[in-house]
Amino acid sequence: MNQRIMLALGVAVIVSALFIAKLPAHSQNTAKPNTNSQNQTDSKPQESPAPSLPPMAETPKTGSMAPDFTLTDMKGKRVQLSSFKGKAVVVDFWATWCEPCKIEMPWLVDLQKKYGPQGLQVLGVAMDDADDQAIQEFARKMGVNYPVLRGTEAVADLYGGLDGLPATFFLDRSGKISDKAMGLESQSVIEDSIKHALGQKQEDPAAGEK
Amino acid sequence: MNSRRLVCIAVTAVLLSTVFCAAQERIPSQGRTFVNFVSASSVVVSPGKSAPVQFTFRVQNPYHINSSKPLTEELIPTQIHFSLPGEVALGRIEYPAGKLMAFPFDPSTKLSVYSGDVVIRGVVVAPLAASTGTYTIHGELKYQACDNNACYPPKKLPFTFNVTVGSARRSSHKSRG
Repeated sequence: MNQRIMLALGVAVIVSALFIAKLPAHSQNTAKPNTNSQNQTDSKPQESPAPSLPPMAETPKTGSMAPDFTLTDMKGKRVQLSSFKGKAVVVDFWATWCEPCKIEMPWLVDLQKKYGPQGLQVLGVAMDDADDQAIQEFARKMGVNYPVLRGTEAVADLYGGLDGLPATFFLDRSGKISDKAMGLESQSVIEDSIKHALGQKQEDPAAGEK
Repeated sequence: MNSRRLVCIAVTAVLLSTVFCAAQERIPSQGRTFVNFVSASSVVVSPGKSAPVQFTFRVQNPYHINSSKPLTEELIPTQIHFSLPGEVALGRIEYPAGKLMAFPFDPSTKLSVYSGDVVIRGVVVAPLAASTGTYTIHGELKYQACDNNACYPPKKLPFTFNVTVGSARRSSHKSRG
């Protein structure tokens, strides 16, 4: 009988190990073991990242439905991503402390003006500890002409943890992710991604999954 | 032992090993290393006196962090904080000047940043009534790192260093070597 128990346990452990092995690997840790015993590295157990959680989920893949969310804008209005279905949407995660984000924002302002009449909607999601007033003031200084929403850790997790900013997701009119940019891309690359999301650009069959 | 009990044991084992494996999986995945604490100078100070201390941190390539005085108010300055026992205090902290650097995301704008080794200096003060002994001081470096095209959420790097409060004779003896 004990043999049967051991057998059941063994099978269970192997099955779960196989299951875990199939899970996506999230490791972005490039830290190498510190061979100097006097050194103390900032290994993650000692760190308290803020405001977003460490990446626990994989970044949504191009071609998949964008994870839906409901966030609050700077006027306190609840905004649901899926309510924009039928439009091409750019979801731009940014923060006031992110210099590359400040480069990208005026481009998004111009692109919103240019492609808004064709069905583009840019949504800025502030991943920031700053208060609403500071975010609003920052957005005003940047001339932002699109809704700015207050991001949450839960939404960050839905989008892969948002380890670095800016993180920009381009959604086609059906709500699928047609492209994404992790970190700053050039204005022309962003514009191409918007055209693609609007259905104005043929998909390059040679382009692989990002 | 009936088959229902066996199934029960198997399900429990699956759950336990899944939780264990998931925990193991997450440990190395929680982020990248931007800054290491390299060292703190050893400090021996007599009651009623002060002694210098310096802390060395290393900003990993290819990252940079804001200096203690970034050039715009939105940027998060690098700061060091301590939890101090009553026996010692820390005087003025001196941060190095930031390097003015422009980055590919905006070659026209210079930012005040640290990269490579960063040495922060301070002064440890022992009150006259301080009891002799060795005290472990807990510190924390708060910083926010970027690379050439992205920025990463603010982080806190904890570190510790020891301060020995000794008599003047003991202190000078130690300082001679």
